[in-house]
Amino acid sequence: MEIVIHVKQLCKSYHNIPAVENVNIEVPRGTIFGLLGANGAGKSTTIECILGTKKPDSGIATILGMNPFADRKKLFERVGVQFQEAAYQEKITVAELCEEIQSLYQNPTDYKDLLKQFGLFEKSKNMISELSGGQKQRLFVILALIPNPEVVFLDELTTGLDTKAKRDVWKYLMALKEKGLTIFLTSHSMEEVSILCDKICILKKGNTVFYGTVEEAIESSPHQNLEEAYLWYSEEEFYNENI
Amino acid sequence: MKTFKTMLKTELRLSLRGMDMVIFAICMPLVITIILGIIYGKRPAFEGASYSFFAQSFAAMPAISICAGGVMGLPLVVSDYRSKRILKRFQVTPISPIMILLVQVVIYTLYSVVSFLTTYITAAIFFGYQMNGSLGEFLGGYFLVLITIFSIGMMVGGISPNTKIASIIASLLYFPMLIFSGATLPYEVMPAGLQKIADLMPLTQGIKLLKAASLGVAVDHVLFPLIFLVVLAIICITVSIRYFRWE
Repeated sequence: MEIVIHVKQLCKSYHNIPAVENVNIEVPRGTIFGLLGANGAGKSTTIECILGTKKPDSGIATILGMNPFADRKKLFERVGVQFQEAAYQEKITVAELCEEIQSLYQNPTDYKDLLKQFGLFEKSKNMISELSGGQKQRLFVILALIPNPEVVFLDELTTGLDTKAKRDVWKYLMALKEKGLTIFLTSHSMEEVSILCDKICILKKGNTVFYGTVEEAIESSPHQNLEEAYLWYSEEEFYNENI
Repeated sequence: MKTFKTMLKTELRLSLRGMDMVIFAICMPLVITIILGIIYGKRPAFEGASYSFFAQSFAAMPAISICAGGVMGLPLVVSDYRSKRILKRFQVTPISPIMILLVQVVIYTLYSVVSFLTTYITAAIFFGYQMNGSLGEFLGGYFLVLITIFSIGMMVGGISPNTKIASIIASLLYFPMLIFSGATLPYEVMPAGLQKIADLMPLTQGIKLLKAASLGVAVDHVLFPLIFLVVLAIICITVSIRYFRWE
């Protein structure tokens, strides 16, 4: 199967403190990959090194076989990104931002369809600053999908969403996956990860402590569900000390 | 082209919603034109001068809005977009940094052109102003001044580490230039010492160029300002593109 996201021996440190060490990731086309870890474990740094918004100290990261630094324009024609923090101009409306983002791409999806899909169409004329946290979150997932991407990066995609909205987003992403979309996500919701992800990687202080499927993660731990297993992987020292 | 049009439309709307530039780049030059017109009327520039003091000062009016847009508007919007991480969002799209800067430059150019037209029409209708020099030369000088001042602004916005520093530098450039370059307070009424200091400002040199062109003064006066502005523009444009940072 074609490997769409390729990360090899990725290292990045800030002021000599390593944030990410020797991370290796391979994401095949049409699959969903989840990057897990506590706050500060190195998830966002990893994503940013893959996207080229941060420069890795060493190692290789490519998407669709392209280097994000050398092929930025060509690459981001085919890749959608939702960052953890929502960035938007002051006094801009939902429709204006969508239209502006849509204009950047050669073959975008009609944003109005996406707004309808995600239940935001009636908010088109509202200022983004007036939206609730969950509505903003959905809007930024929409922005990542506007380019009609082959690969999409979603950093904490359903944080702040209510149960219904969460399930709608999941359903929509699963449908896109069926059509061949490759998804790279980070999440703190183990329910989300179990439902969506084909493979996961758990980071702890910048190091990979688990890499494999959700089932494998549970099997190789002394626990019965992903949440317990995840805590066991990410807090192993703590567990061992207490046993 | 589609990207440019949509971005321009959206960003222009946002800028108009902000209102600052409507006040500083459109209303203010108009008010100063009216005040100068009322104070100086048809009085000649000096004994035996062939042109009026008002006609001499008028050439500086377009500089007010160029100054507001160039060293206030531009650097603030660029550094604001960076600190709000809007540029970082753009970094993961196919847009080029030059397009982002160009859209903003065009917006502030539009403000300046609108301001030039409104002040010109007001001066012509209410204070009998007529341009004696060459309109072509004046427009040439006008766009040179605009490009130079805007490139200073782009450089400031581009290399300032944060919005706070950008706004301090913008104020340090804007207020002295607004008051002492001859844009508002006429250069001719300043004491000689102050004129020497004012001569160091790029806008003062630009205004000299505009005055010479609009009054039809001999060309040897304009060589120094011309070279000064061109060199400055080249330096600032190079620096702002070379050191453009998304984050």
